[in-house]
This record gives sequence, structure tokens and C-alpha cells, in this order.
Amino acid sequence: MRLRLLTPFLRTMRNRFFPAGTVPMKSLAVGLFGLLICLVLYLVSLKVVGYFHRQSELGVILSLKIFQMAWIVMFAMLIFSCMVSSVSTLFLSQDNEIIFAAPVTPGEIYFMRYLTTTFYTSWMMAVFSLPVFGAYGKVFQAGVFYWPLLIVCVVATALIASGIGMSLTVVLVRFFPARQTKDIIFYLSLCFGIFIYIIFRLLRPEDLVNPDKYVHFVEYLSSISQPAGPYVPAAWSANLLSLYLMDREIDWLLLALLVVGAPSLFFIGEWAMQRFFLVGYTKSQESFGGFRPFTRTGRYHPGTAQWIFKKESKTFLRDSAEWSQLFMIAALVVVYLYSFKALPVERSPLQTEYVTNLISFLNVGMTGFIITSLAGRFVFPAVGAETAAFWLIQSSPLSVGRFLLYKFLFYLAPFTLLSLLLVVTSDALLKISGPMWWFSVTASLVICWTVVGMAVGFGALYADFKAENRAAALGGMGALLFLFTAMTVVFLIIAGGASPMYHFMRHWMSGREIHLAQRIALLAWFMGSLLLGVLSVGFFWRKGCRSLTG
Amino acid sequence: MKRDDETSALDVAGLTKRFGSYTAVDEVSFSVGRGEIFGFLGPNGAGKTTTIKMLAGLLKPDGGAITICDHQMATDPTACKKLTAYIPDRPYLYEKLTGYEFLQFVASLYSLSREQFGSIEQYLQLFDLLDWQHHLIECYSHGMKQKIIMTAAFMLDCPLIIVDEPMVGLDPKSARIVKELLKNHARKGNSIFLSTHSLEIAEELCDRIGIIVHGELRSLGTLESLRREAQLDNSDLEEIFLELTGADELTAIISALKGDNG
Repeated sequence: MRLRLLTPFLRTMRNRFFPAGTVPMKSLAVGLFGLLICLVLYLVSLKVVGYFHRQSELGVILSLKIFQMAWIVMFAMLIFSCMVSSVSTLFLSQDNEIIFAAPVTPGEIYFMRYLTTTFYTSWMMAVFSLPVFGAYGKVFQAGVFYWPLLIVCVVATALIASGIGMSLTVVLVRFFPARQTKDIIFYLSLCFGIFIYIIFRLLRPEDLVNPDKYVHFVEYLSSISQPAGPYVPAAWSANLLSLYLMDREIDWLLLALLVVGAPSLFFIGEWAMQRFFLVGYTKSQESFGGFRPFTRTGRYHPGTAQWIFKKESKTFLRDSAEWSQLFMIAALVVVYLYSFKALPVERSPLQTEYVTNLISFLNVGMTGFIITSLAGRFVFPAVGAETAAFWLIQSSPLSVGRFLLYKFLFYLAPFTLLSLLLVVTSDALLKISGPMWWFSVTASLVICWTVVGMAVGFGALYADFKAENRAAALGGMGALLFLFTAMTVVFLIIAGGASPMYHFMRHWMSGREIHLAQRIALLAWFMGSLLLGVLSVGFFWRKGCRSLTG
Repeated sequence: MKRDDETSALDVAGLTKRFGSYTAVDEVSFSVGRGEIFGFLGPNGAGKTTTIKMLAGLLKPDGGAITICDHQMATDPTACKKLTAYIPDRPYLYEKLTGYEFLQFVASLYSLSREQFGSIEQYLQLFDLLDWQHHLIECYSHGMKQKIIMTAAFMLDCPLIIVDEPMVGLDPKSARIVKELLKNHARKGNSIFLSTHSLEIAEELCDRIGIIVHGELRSLGTLESLRREAQLDNSDLEEIFLELTGADELTAIISALKGDNG
């Protein structure tokens, strides 16, 4: 009986990936792409873990410490993401009216939501953590039991995280309306993310591999070889697997805790659901808010671009899930720039000026990757963020091309400013001037405009007008393809500039005359980058426009 | 089925739309004259909304031509859309804008002058939205959202209004107002293309009616000509509709249901 509510989920999945019982090329491509990412993750992890493992006893302990940290951070992320999702799935889901009006018990609904929410929030973690943890098994030459133990640990950790997250959500919504709870959890998870990020950076992890910082080596060793907290379920998994990796022993108590923990938490959640669900669900329907009138905006002035910009900014600033992300960006900028301030360039065996110029060059690429990921978060979903109201744009005299142009222009200014802020400030901290300063500013502008343009094009091509919010669009295939393609373009622009800039700078720093050929090579790189940018943007814009005008 | 009328506001010739191997709209042709209210009827899944979406420029046809006031949709969609106000059946709007801001936004899309925008006051008053105009749309009811879209459409004062299910979600007072506004709009020489399931509305408002079944235009004409076609003199539109859409089995079903109750 409990399984009947899962039918829509299972059928939806089947129809999505295997429509009409066939395996379409798209599903195959998605599967192959996922496998490729897993393979890359596995190989990179193999290299990193293998490197640590070869660094005597200290390396082994460090690699296991990272193993434990990965489990705990993953677990915390799963709980927060499950709480945010479960407010939606439990209380705000559109099918609630059908399901709750039917003669099914809250326990039955909880069972269905528990499994589906666990799937939605943890499939990516499960798929992408397996190759990383698998690399540990390979490097430590773990026995055959490592693999079943790993699968049990991943599944149990995901189920326990869901159990905790959903039980807490059901109780929280008992006291706060669902929408407020969602915001509260969202802010909490955001603060948690920012906190972890800043603390991690301010701890200067680079010092961890610098034993000079510790007076006694034993003190250093003991500080990092402590086992993870015994009350955190993720630490049970980490400790169970670490013990097996090191000594080929299975800690049966930890295994039992994991196996019993998941169903126990499920039953606690089910009890909470039966006890509190109706009150919470009632509140979730009352909490519409918005009864506060807004101050009358200025008089109407004709001007489509101006009104598109106004609409974009109002929609962004009135959605707490959107504007609160600005804090995360602020933290990112602070930590990023702090990293430049904390760079120990003076300890380098190479000439300081050479190192700072090299870092400034690489910084253009780093800034490009940051801009790409932020464009993936904000610009890529911007077309889909029109939601079903896009009919208004489609039926209006505004052409889709011009609409995309306005979107592009709206996001261009803040992204250009951010890009310049990162590059110019880090150049100032590195005391960069002369050709490298001009190179970094020019290249970062070309990259920024190209990436924002591509994000708009990809956003149009893969617009998801049904996505609940912009963050939801990030999990889709289109977002992954955008990130992959844009990062390739960024890499090509940077890699293309490496050789001409190296020769140019070598002559400039040694005070020698710069040949005409070197100037031409640099100019050719600039024109080539510009052309690559224009062609990439043009190509995806055309495809995007065609897709929207269908 | 094309009217030889030089003053057509909307001309549709051989309009076709396929989804894979399924033909949703098959060679549909008709025209709507200036000052005319044209009703578009058909059973569920007959191709009404697909046709409407093509007329509003939301879907690209696979064949045929749409001409709005002498402008081709295929070659000059911007001019066509400037002449058309579209009212969809489901009021999806920008939830984080206020009603007033939404109207300003729509006005900007159609490059309305400040004077033209001034007409919203009367429509907001008619639809009892004056007190709600500065509230976020996300707190509007379904009917209020529908009314703000109606306000936007009438504010644009376009020569052609395309409206899909105009009365869904409206209270009786607002429904009455919408009917009068539509009639008034047509009296000024503008045209209305109206799709509805409500046969009473079609009977009351429409000068001519087209009936679409399985993607094909089955019948087209005034109520009188449809009566003649169905060979049902003195019958109302419901009976004509059922006859022309081939719902013969309905009589048997109704008899069976009556039998069950008896």
C-alpha cells in the first residue's frame, strides 16, 4: 500500500529518461556524460590521494583526515539541502491537494516524500562521491569488503541526513509558516556555508602541510590524527571506512549504528508527521503574505529596455532566495582577495616580480572561472526565471533577440564591475603595473562579456520555465553544459595568451626592446580571443533564439 | 471558408501544426472581419489552444499563413504583435511585481504613450482592483490575476484581441463587465477572436462561430447557418455543437444515466 504513492514519481522518471519504453540518444548522452565526469573525478582523486599516500605516515593520516572532513561536510550539506527541499515537497508541493484530499494517512505521505526527497537531494552526492571514495579504496588497496561497506555507508548517510532534515522540518513548520521556515533554513544554510568557507580560509590550510608552524612534530601529528566526532552519523561512516582502509577490520558497532540509525530516524519523522503535519500544512496555506501595499512607483515613461531592467531588479530584490546570495558573493570576494594578501610570495625561491606577474596572469583564469560559476547561478537561469509568464514576452512586439539583448545588458554591468574588482584589486595587492595590468584587465573583460553572453544564450536554449527558482535550474543538463563550454572557452583564451604574454613580459622585465613580432602576436591573441568570444556568443544566441521562437 | 472581405483584421489560410506525427491543427482557414466577434469552439484537445498560440505568435506554424491587418506573422511578427492583445486562459504573471508595475511593464513592451497608459484607471475601477494595484501579484486570487490581464489587454486598445476562455475564474459581475467591454471594443471597429467552452457566451457575443474538431475546421458561419448545417431549426447552440462535433453517443449516455437514476 505504501508504494502506491510512489507511482507518479517512478512513472515520471521512466517517462523522462525512457519515453515510450525506448532509450533515447539524450538519455544515453546524459548517462555517458555522467560516467565521464565520474571517471575524471576518480582519476583526479586517485592522483591526489595517491600523492598524499606516498608522503610517508604523515601523508596517510592527512589523506584520512580529508576523508573524514569530506564525509562531515557532505553530511551537513545533505541535511540543509534536505530541509530546504522538504519544506517544498512536504508542504508546498502542487500535488498536495490531490494527495491530501485522498484517503491516505500522513504516514503514507511521509514515506513517499522521504524516499523522493532523499533521492532528489542526495543522488548527485552519491554518484559523485563514489568515485572519490573509490579512489581511496584503490590507493589503500582495500579488501573486497570495502566496496559493499562504502555503498552501505553512502546510502545510510543519505537516509540518516534525510531523516534528520525532514523530522526537523516537520517540527519547525509546526511553529513557523512553511514559507518562512524555508527562508529561515535557507539563511541558516547560507550562513553555515559562508561560515565554513571563511573559517576554512582564515585557518590558512596551506599551513597544515607546513610542519615548521608546529613546535613539536608529535603535537602536529596528534592534532590531525584525532578521530572524527563520535556523535555525528557521517563520522560513523568515515571511521568505519578509515578503520577498514587501515587495518582491514570492520567496526560492527558503527555498522550497526548506521544500519539501525536510518530506519529509527524515519520512524521518528513519521511520528512527527502524524502529530504535526495537518497544523503545519494549514499554516503553509495561510502564509501568503504580501498584503502590505507597496509604495506607488513613479509615473509611467515609455521605454522597453528601462522596464525590462526595472522588472529584473524588482523581481530579484523582492525574492529573498535571490538577493541573499549576494552575501555569499561578498564572502567569496573577501576570501578571494584575502588569499592574495596572504600569499607568501617573498618566500618563493624565484624572483618576486616574476612570481607576482605569473600569479596575475593565472588570476585572470581564476576570475574567469568565478565569473563563469556566478553566471551559471544568476544569468543562465534568467530566461527561465520568466516562468510561465513568458507568454507575455512572446506575444508582445518585443522580439526574442532584443529581449535577450536586454537581459544581457542588465547582467553585464554588475558582472563587469565584479570582474574588474577582482582583477584590479588583486593586481594592486600584487603590486602589478605595466603590460600585465593591461593584459589582465583586457582579458578579464573579454572573458566576462563572453561568459555572460554565453550564459544568456545557453539560458535561452535550455530555458526551464517550470523551475521553482533559479537555483533549481542549476541541477539541469543545460547548466552543466554551459559550465563545461564556458570554462573551455575561458581556458582557450588564457592558454592562447600564455606564450605571447610570456615572451612580451620577458623582454619588458629585462628592459630589452620589444620586437614587432611580439606586439603582433599579442594583438593576434587579442583579436583571436575577441573573435572566439563573438562566435561563441553568436552561435548559442542563435540557437537560443530559435529554441524560444520554436 | 475564407471571407472575401477586404477589411479583414485576421486572415488565416491553411494553418497547420504537427507535433511529431500527430497533426494538432490541419489546414485551418478562416478570417475575422473588422468589428466582428468571432467564436472558436471545439471539444477538449481539438486544437483550439494550439491555433490560438499560433495566432498570438507563441507557436510557429508548420504550414499556412496568418495575416493580421495586412501584416504577415511569418515575415513581420513584430508588427502583427503590436496590433494584437492576447489574453491566455491561465493567468501566469510576474508574481513579484505589483499589479500597477505589471501594467507599466506591459505598456512599455507595446511602447504605449503616457496618455494611453492613463486609461488603466477606469479599467482598474471597473474590475475592483484600485485598492489592490500596489500589492504584489503573488497575493492576488486567480480571478484578480485574470482581471489584471484583462485590464492590460483593454489598456493596449489593439485592433485585434485574441482571448482564450475569457470568463474562467471571474465572478458574475466581472464576467458581465468583460462581455460589455468586448462588445464595446468590437463596436469601435476592432475585432475579437474568442475561444470558449461556454456556449452561452458564444451565443450571446459572437457574430460568427467556427467549430474545430480533431484539428480540422468542421463548421463555420453564423448561428443561423450552423443551425441549417446541423438541420436543427430552433435549436440552441449546445445541440448544434453536439450534432456538429459528432457527439451522437451522448444521447445514449444521457438515457443510460437517467435510467440509472430512475
